[in-house]
Amino acid sequence: MDKRVMFAVAGSGKTTLLVKRLSLEKRALIITYTENNYRHLRDSIIKRFGHVPKNINLLSYFTFLYSFCYRPLLQVHMQTRGISFRAPHARTLKLKRDNKAYYATTSGSVYHNRLAKLLETVNAIPDVMARMERFYDEFYVDEVQDLAGHDFNLLMALAKAKVEMLFVGDFYQHTFDTSRDGNVNSSLHADIGKYEKLFQKAGVTVDKETLSRSWRCGVTVCDFIRTHLQIDMQSQHTYETEIIPLANQVDANAVHADGNVVKLFYQEHYKYGCLSNNWGASKGLDHYNDVCVVLGATHWKIYQTSSLAALPPQTKNKLYVAFSRTRGKLYLAPEKLFKPFKTD
Amino acid sequence: MHTIRKVVIQNFKKFKSLTLDFEPGKTVLIGNNEAGKSSILLALDLALGGSRNRIEALGAEALLNKDSVSAFLAGEKSLEKLPELIVDVFLEEGDDESLYGTNNAHQRQTDGVRMILAVMAEYGEAVQAILADDQPNFPFEYYAVRFETFAGRPYAAFNRPIKHMMLDGSRIDGDHASREYTRAVYAFNAPVEDRYKLENLYRQGKQAFTGQHLAALNADLPAYQFDVRSSIRSNLETDLIITEDDIPLENHGKGRQCFIKTEFALSKHKQGGLDVMLLEEPENHLSHSSMKALVAKLAENKSTQLFIATHSSHICSRLDLRHALLIGPNTAAGSLKALSPDTAEFFMKAPDNNVLEFALSKKVILVEGDAEFILVEEFYKQCSNGRLPHVDDVHIISIGGTSFKRYMELANLLGIRVAAIRDNDKDYQKNCVENYAGFASDNAKVFADKDNDRSTFEIGLHNDNVETCKAVFGPGRKTLSPLEYMLANKAEAAFELLKGKPGELTVPAFIAEAIQWINE
Repeated sequence: MDKRVMFAVAGSGKTTLLVKRLSLEKRALIITYTENNYRHLRDSIIKRFGHVPKNINLLSYFTFLYSFCYRPLLQVHMQTRGISFRAPHARTLKLKRDNKAYYATTSGSVYHNRLAKLLETVNAIPDVMARMERFYDEFYVDEVQDLAGHDFNLLMALAKAKVEMLFVGDFYQHTFDTSRDGNVNSSLHADIGKYEKLFQKAGVTVDKETLSRSWRCGVTVCDFIRTHLQIDMQSQHTYETEIIPLANQVDANAVHADGNVVKLFYQEHYKYGCLSNNWGASKGLDHYNDVCVVLGATHWKIYQTSSLAALPPQTKNKLYVAFSRTRGKLYLAPEKLFKPFKTD
Repeated sequence: MHTIRKVVIQNFKKFKSLTLDFEPGKTVLIGNNEAGKSSILLALDLALGGSRNRIEALGAEALLNKDSVSAFLAGEKSLEKLPELIVDVFLEEGDDESLYGTNNAHQRQTDGVRMILAVMAEYGEAVQAILADDQPNFPFEYYAVRFETFAGRPYAAFNRPIKHMMLDGSRIDGDHASREYTRAVYAFNAPVEDRYKLENLYRQGKQAFTGQHLAALNADLPAYQFDVRSSIRSNLETDLIITEDDIPLENHGKGRQCFIKTEFALSKHKQGGLDVMLLEEPENHLSHSSMKALVAKLAENKSTQLFIATHSSHICSRLDLRHALLIGPNTAAGSLKALSPDTAEFFMKAPDNNVLEFALSKKVILVEGDAEFILVEEFYKQCSNGRLPHVDDVHIISIGGTSFKRYMELANLLGIRVAAIRDNDKDYQKNCVENYAGFASDNAKVFADKDNDRSTFEIGLHNDNVETCKAVFGPGRKTLSPLEYMLANKAEAAFELLKGKPGELTVPAFIAEAIQWINE
């Protein structure tokens, strides 16, 4: 029974690999977290099979957690009526873990970030594993790096179920957390070495080789990312592309107006009136050709001193996502050159 | 293909709580009027159907168990004690995870769907105000229905997981029922994409009609024009009918309609057949020969699970008594499978009429021969101021031979009160007491003459009515004494006694006792 986590670099084809593994015979359960990736996976499955076959069940993480794990086993027992995506009030952290109020609002909605913990507390995990074994032969988790808080613990517990498992993710593309609760697993993503050990401890083989080369980014961009962000990324290709820092307003105007270049901003991209997105939100998108990453004043200064690698992980990872979107040219621009286009 | 294995009903109509196990294949529900056969079919129909509208049309007041409502009003009337109506339909386990979970009365992980009619939690305060009324006031209006699978997935009529159909023989040609029926079989036969295409063509056809044939008429009209309706109230699905030999189904007799509808629904369809069919009194409007033909159709059906509520012993027996589920009075239910294997087999082989009549009775006097059968009704009249047995809900059934134990076991299962009248065959203690240990109960009792010399019905009867017998049987007989004649011609003798001396017979004491006991 193979259980494996593959750490991938951006654009190395993890979705392609995952979808290639699916078949019409084996019953597969696939979990992913972001909306972008859900759609991308679904489209890839449809491209391969013409439709989503009956034996393949693609669920977003919370649908899996709520409709597959929680509702069939605990809804009657807990008497709840839905899920709450608001963060629970801080005072609930002081409640005992066997107190229902820790898990659900007074109106009967379960807190999204404590559902996984609830399954553990009421000892429902063996039943969830039995459910997985009963209905599936294969269990896939895409974007596994996004599982955080109690959700990560749940995944490690479920890893013992007797089905084939493949988790894929990119440690450095960890830009979102499925959920957080107090300080549970708060330092999970601080150290890749420790992170890998947790998988090994759960009996999951760590594979860093298979998906270590990017199909999307050329040598130049990979070199740039290695140098500036100190993230080990290689390319499948040998051709060179260009890194173009924008120095003047005229060049910036041209890039702003160019409908073939996607402009990626730290935040509020919609205010700049061009073809754009935010760094983090572009994760999972694979259809950009040339990309311009716009850096705020502080980030621009750090870039010029070549110390982007020292940014807080959250920011560094988003920047990594943004840089690695390009198939072709990578423009870099200080935000002040785009200020003239900004509206409020 | 889904199969129903069990239904657990709480607070539905006359059932405070009821659990029924079903076999795959056929289940024949038999029981008296008001025993609750139709309620069981209705409970299944509503739970499988997932239609909120139907529940609202029926109303919480009609569906909630009356006793639970009055018990609630008589109690402390607190919000959390409000009765809830729940129908849990347990299914044969399959590979659909959205049906599998613990969301059921047994909190057991298995496949199924459930319907819950309960007070909506968000109106707690308003309901509390109603309950605080001095007058007993029940908040029926605040009840709402939910349909969920055992995995907690909500469903509605359009995506109900089990395909089922209900055919009610008594309302076979109702307008609404006919339309629903046509719509359902149309859906089984036409794939969704075909349905859209046909719908589209139909609408175009109407437009073409307007263009070609109404055009001339419209040309002479100044401001206003005639057109043909093409709204959701008038489209292909609303205009569709089913015909046989070019005659619309609704113009056939009710009997024929019943037949065609059942046959058509059970036949194979493109879109996969029905999982479950509920038939309410299919014998309605059917002649004996049509009914035979229908039963043959039902019997050969393999692909659809059938639930049939019936009063017809023919339907019941032809479909094999093993499938029968007897709904007794007092909402007790039992299948023949719950009986001991011996007894069950006995009933499968016994003449069916008796079993059905027995199962449908509240009180039964069992006798073991034609002579007793002929006279016990007369005795009954004498012992109860001239009332006939059926006035007191008492049935007299002759079962011949010595199968009393079988019937007593069934009576105990169904809660029927049964008095068994038999001969002591010269040993009262052995034949009539020890013999029935474990069968006799508060509800089932054996009555026989305690005097071992009066070993048969005829001897006792003769000895209690020596003069009468002499008067009826004496004249014209040389070789046989009256008793010898009675023993040799039991039924005939009983008939002659009844004809010759009605009202003048002395009722043997143990029979009088039985008649008195049955009505206690």
